[in-house]
Amino acid sequence: MRYLKYTLFFALIALISSCEEGYLEPAPTSVISSANYYTTPDQVESAVINIYDGIQGVWDFNMDENRALQLEFYLTEMRSDNTRTKSSEGEAAQFESYSVEATNGIVANYYQSYYNVVYRVNVVLENLDAAGSMAAKYEAEAKFLRAYAYFNLVRLFGDIPLVDSVISPEDKATAYTRVASAEIYNLIISDLTTAISGLDNSSSYRASKTAAQTLLAKVHLNKGEYLEAQQLCESIVESGNYALEANFKDVFYSEGNDEVIFAIGYIGDSNEAQNFSAEWLNAVGRTSGVNYVTNDAKAALDAMGGDRTMYSYRNDVSQVTQNQVAKYIPNGDSTLGISSTSSDPQRAGNDWIVLRYADVLLLHVESILAGGASTTSAAALSSFNLIRNRAGLANDADGTITKQELMDERRVELAFENHRLFDLMRMGEAQNVLSAFAISVGVGFTSSDLLLPIPQREINLSGGDMSQNPGY
Amino acid sequence: MKQMMNFRINETIKLNLILAACVSIGLLTSCEEEVYPETGSIVDKTPPSAAFSATQGVGLNDEWMTYTFSNQSSSATDFAWDFGDGNSSTDFEPSNEYSGEGTFDVKLTATDKLGVSSTYSEQIVIVEPEAPEAIIPPIYEASFEDNSLPDGTGDGRDSWRLSGAGVIQITSSPVYEGSQAAKFPSAGDRAAYQVLEVTPNSDYTLTYYYTMKTSPTGGNVTVWILPGEVSEFSQIDTDQAIASFAGTDQSSSNDYAKVDLPFSTGANDKVAILVTNELVESRVDSMSITAD
Repeated sequence: MRYLKYTLFFALIALISSCEEGYLEPAPTSVISSANYYTTPDQVESAVINIYDGIQGVWDFNMDENRALQLEFYLTEMRSDNTRTKSSEGEAAQFESYSVEATNGIVANYYQSYYNVVYRVNVVLENLDAAGSMAAKYEAEAKFLRAYAYFNLVRLFGDIPLVDSVISPEDKATAYTRVASAEIYNLIISDLTTAISGLDNSSSYRASKTAAQTLLAKVHLNKGEYLEAQQLCESIVESGNYALEANFKDVFYSEGNDEVIFAIGYIGDSNEAQNFSAEWLNAVGRTSGVNYVTNDAKAALDAMGGDRTMYSYRNDVSQVTQNQVAKYIPNGDSTLGISSTSSDPQRAGNDWIVLRYADVLLLHVESILAGGASTTSAAALSSFNLIRNRAGLANDADGTITKQELMDERRVELAFENHRLFDLMRMGEAQNVLSAFAISVGVGFTSSDLLLPIPQREINLSGGDMSQNPGY
Repeated sequence: MKQMMNFRINETIKLNLILAACVSIGLLTSCEEEVYPETGSIVDKTPPSAAFSATQGVGLNDEWMTYTFSNQSSSATDFAWDFGDGNSSTDFEPSNEYSGEGTFDVKLTATDKLGVSSTYSEQIVIVEPEAPEAIIPPIYEASFEDNSLPDGTGDGRDSWRLSGAGVIQITSSPVYEGSQAAKFPSAGDRAAYQVLEVTPNSDYTLTYYYTMKTSPTGGNVTVWILPGEVSEFSQIDTDQAIASFAGTDQSSSNDYAKVDLPFSTGANDKVAILVTNELVESRVDSMSITAD
């Protein structure tokens, strides 16, 4: 009896102590919070889908919304020798004249959008416990998308903040400390390695093993690791899961085809639509016409495009001295046999192709070229000629692929697909090519223009701690 | 009331006097300091800093002699380049065509409008890029001779062992040359395996000699070229072989037949030679490799 008294006493103390945490701060039961929402695999999958939604960008013309991918052509294609604005107006024209300001709203929007994508990835990674048996797949999928976001950011901005977990607004040190690009590349490679081992090839609208292999091959080429890149490209070729479309037009106008490795989907006339297609046309979008084809790109396509030329650019019927991109036309073209993807061209349904098999074949050639001036390798010629033959062109005439021939082939095959600038940078020819191009169109280019400015807003928010890229 | 007014007037006059005094002092002082023109200026906290990087041209002709310079200087307005070969430039980002191979000290002087300058130099070593030649890998104990390793040791088969496979035997007769050759008994349970370091995407030819007993018929001695490297016999997948040759010449158990086995390395910087046999006792001797 005496012991029972003590026992009860201690039990009471134990009860009181165990109450403390949850008792005074009970988890809310009638509202959803980020801390208690993720409890089932389906809910985690919704967070995975949310990452794609972030890349897709918000259908809007408002620059306060994260427009993400829908603005990418400004930062990439319009800074290359491929495209320009039609009328050199506004901040959109800063790109073609290599006079981008740190206050440029398009740059700031893209930066913010892709860090938002990184945030969405980190939310998934922190809630994998709720995903049960799907945890490995969702982890692989999220990490592929984080690698994709960081690979774009690091190539556009250089050294950038490395955020690999969900951070609070108070964590200024993480949000505004620029980390050496080599460390960013380490995260990208580690994420892609996880992605390759955890993914299959079930959909081209979701992350896949091949998409991760392709991206990793490109990362290795950026770092001059040619053998690793070649092995990845060859394992994609040998897998036989992808093939070139017989007709170049079908790559863009027969969506979900076998050539597409990874695409971001859009649905016409809905909130999941895109408006970049309309912006590229005269008096269809809100702008006066952006991503118009330069004479330099037109000349390259005329000389080397083969069957690809007519589906790459077309004459602007309302202004015949100008040429428009013919990939991703939203409102159809009866002459080219293209139908519209929506009734409202500003809400277009054309998907954006991020990676396709033709890219892999040309990366294969690049990996065998291995930074040299030319190659006669049979494997390289085989990949190279597949691309040429599909375009209705004969095999490489002399059996030697030079670096210039490879750069030209990539330019006309992948024109206006946001590859050109990155290709020139990766192959070490950006300064030569863009300096000459800038002189020919009467603008000033210096090598510091290859990196965009860190958005001034970020520097302001950092209290001035964040440094700017040189030349801005 | 009037008194008060007077007081106020007096106050005003007094204040004016003080003000006048202050102003004149101020004038005097400012006059004095006008002697020193830098007064009021602040130190330039960001003086010029010169920096650049150089990129060699790539192409089929003489592009290798042209270097493009990327200017990474900050806080400067004027630039003077000395390319180390007598040429110079004042462009922001010039390129220079050198006359040939050599070592050059490139100097960039970056100056601002205050006349402050900074200099950065870098030595560039210009070498004409050779057409990349394939590595010729050594094949150790290629003729299965005793003491033929680089350090003078070895039993003729030390370089050919692989865990999980029986080690080859050594024969002294018949041999193709020297005093020993590799012997594969009819049981077919032996394997010779050696990894070679090669240049990717290059063509090679492996040359070797073999002979087989005349009976039983239907056997073979096969040399495989396999991609990569394994540590266990069980990891070998001969379906992945880059090249192979199955020797079936049983016409003489004394005379060796020569085989040239060409192969292309593809996306591999390592390949392995594997030799196995089936059914009939076989011998292999004198391996060598050439790049095509």
